[in-house]
Amino acid sequence: MSNNVSFKEIFKRGAVLYNPVLVQLVGLCPVIAASTTFLQAAMLSATMCVELVAISVLASLFFRNLPRWIRMSLYLLTGLAIVCPVLYYLETYSLAEISLGMKIYLPLTAINSVVAVHCEQVAVKSDMKLAFYDALASGIGISAIFLITGAVREILGRATFAGVAVNIPVTLKGMTLPFGCLILLGFLAAGLKAVSAKMSPVDFETEEEAKAEEVFESEEAVSEIEEKAKEDFGFLGSSDADLGDFLKSLGIDLPEEEGGEQ
Amino acid sequence: MANGAEKLNKDNARSFFGGYLLMLAVPCFAAYWFYGVRSLLVIAASVAAAVATDALAGLVINRKIDISDLSSVFTGAAIALMMPSSVPYYVAVFASVFAVAVVKVPFGGSMKAPFVPAAAGFAFASVCFKEQVFAFVEGSEGKLFGSTSLGSMLMNGRAVYVGAASIFDILGGNVAGPMGTGCALLMVACAVYLLITRPKALVSSVSFIAACVLMVYFFPRVVASFKTNLVPELCSGSLLFAAVFLVTDPSTQPHKTVNKIVYGAVCGVICMAMRHMGAYEETVCFAVLLTNALRPIFDSVINNMPKISKKAFRKVKADKEVLANE
Repeated sequence: MSNNVSFKEIFKRGAVLYNPVLVQLVGLCPVIAASTTFLQAAMLSATMCVELVAISVLASLFFRNLPRWIRMSLYLLTGLAIVCPVLYYLETYSLAEISLGMKIYLPLTAINSVVAVHCEQVAVKSDMKLAFYDALASGIGISAIFLITGAVREILGRATFAGVAVNIPVTLKGMTLPFGCLILLGFLAAGLKAVSAKMSPVDFETEEEAKAEEVFESEEAVSEIEEKAKEDFGFLGSSDADLGDFLKSLGIDLPEEEGGEQ
Repeated sequence: MANGAEKLNKDNARSFFGGYLLMLAVPCFAAYWFYGVRSLLVIAASVAAAVATDALAGLVINRKIDISDLSSVFTGAAIALMMPSSVPYYVAVFASVFAVAVVKVPFGGSMKAPFVPAAAGFAFASVCFKEQVFAFVEGSEGKLFGSTSLGSMLMNGRAVYVGAASIFDILGGNVAGPMGTGCALLMVACAVYLLITRPKALVSSVSFIAACVLMVYFFPRVVASFKTNLVPELCSGSLLFAAVFLVTDPSTQPHKTVNKIVYGAVCGVICMAMRHMGAYEETVCFAVLLTNALRPIFDSVINNMPKISKKAFRKVKADKEVLANE
């Protein structure tokens, strides 16, 4: 990644086009298992966001010249230094419900795939500013998904929002279960793809473009076969028809051109 | 897909689901006979929700979805028939909406869906509205055990009640249960119709039932004779209904006969295993969904088996030739 990219561009790519959860499918476990209520999702996303930004900045500033195995240990230690106070806060202020709801996933955020991927792919190869922007953009992308899934699951599954009762006639218990979250994530991913295709059509080829590319590749393959036949067998035919007949005699069938016989 | 193939697909779907709707008319009549007008209203609400969701989804994704293939009508009716007549309307509506919006439309229609939409809809309703889906109170006054269904008796291991039940009462649907699936004799009649119109589809159903029978023989839920266990097990819940209408779904059923047999057998084993260990009275829809998910795995294993055996045969033959030459 170039160091002269604006934050807007990084945000667009890190949070939307390549959203860690919906596109890269990184960090799915905590989203599915722990984001059953809005408060849990908010707590978990805030912790992950702060941790990701802090470790990325440190990795960019101090860890880049260290061997990889030491870097990974340092990510873990830094993550623990951030997560331990959060755990202490939850226990001290008797937020047992939120803490239990997040199960093992809050301690596990000390080292997670999102941090490892971003630090190793971007932070240690970029300057501090770029690493910060990238981590912030990804953190916002993850947090948005956490908050959306947490809110939707809590409203539909428990008829509450952040613990406050919401007046909806029917609750769907299935939304608090993992399958409900997976279905929700599927629809969010589809929605994000539709938005991304409009936002940045360059990154998303349409069906027609994909088909055109397939045809182009097959034509390229045919011309390669023809070239190889000329080189290997010394074919000196004067026309394409002769070349076609020659290739047919070798057992190579060329695709017929559309509308050629009309 | 080319226009011709699309048209063929559409025609196939319409003829298939048209035939199935003709068969569904029989359990619909039975539901009306046993539980009155309310059962028909539940079916109508469920069908309307499925068709409306299909049409709405087409508008949302900006793609023409032809609702005339009747698949939504079938899905809505099948879901409603697997529920009790006392079920609130919104439960049937939510189940149908889920089946169409989550399982059918995102995968490109009824002939491409990797899961049976009706099974998914009922499974969703079972998870979200367990109390309503398994409450057989309304219309059960004159039934053999009142509002206690065969499924709940088997689940609780009530050998005395199961043993006391007359086979004719059970086969005739005189026991509380889902409104359209309780009468086993009607399901047999539907199976006969299917045998005449689509005999190959019944291969999976036969292996499904056979696997269930074997499971009952080896792992009975009630301490009683095999016969005492077998009839209630087969007639409880929606097992026979699923054997005729869900296991034979064309988009999820394998094409080769061997694969069909394995598909049905796996479904039967999972269904009975879940009845033993699961938390729900009715597990056949979960079993169908799990088998749908596992199908690509055992399809690939079965399809590769002849290659493996041919390869092994060639190797043995080559070894023999080498030995003979030596």
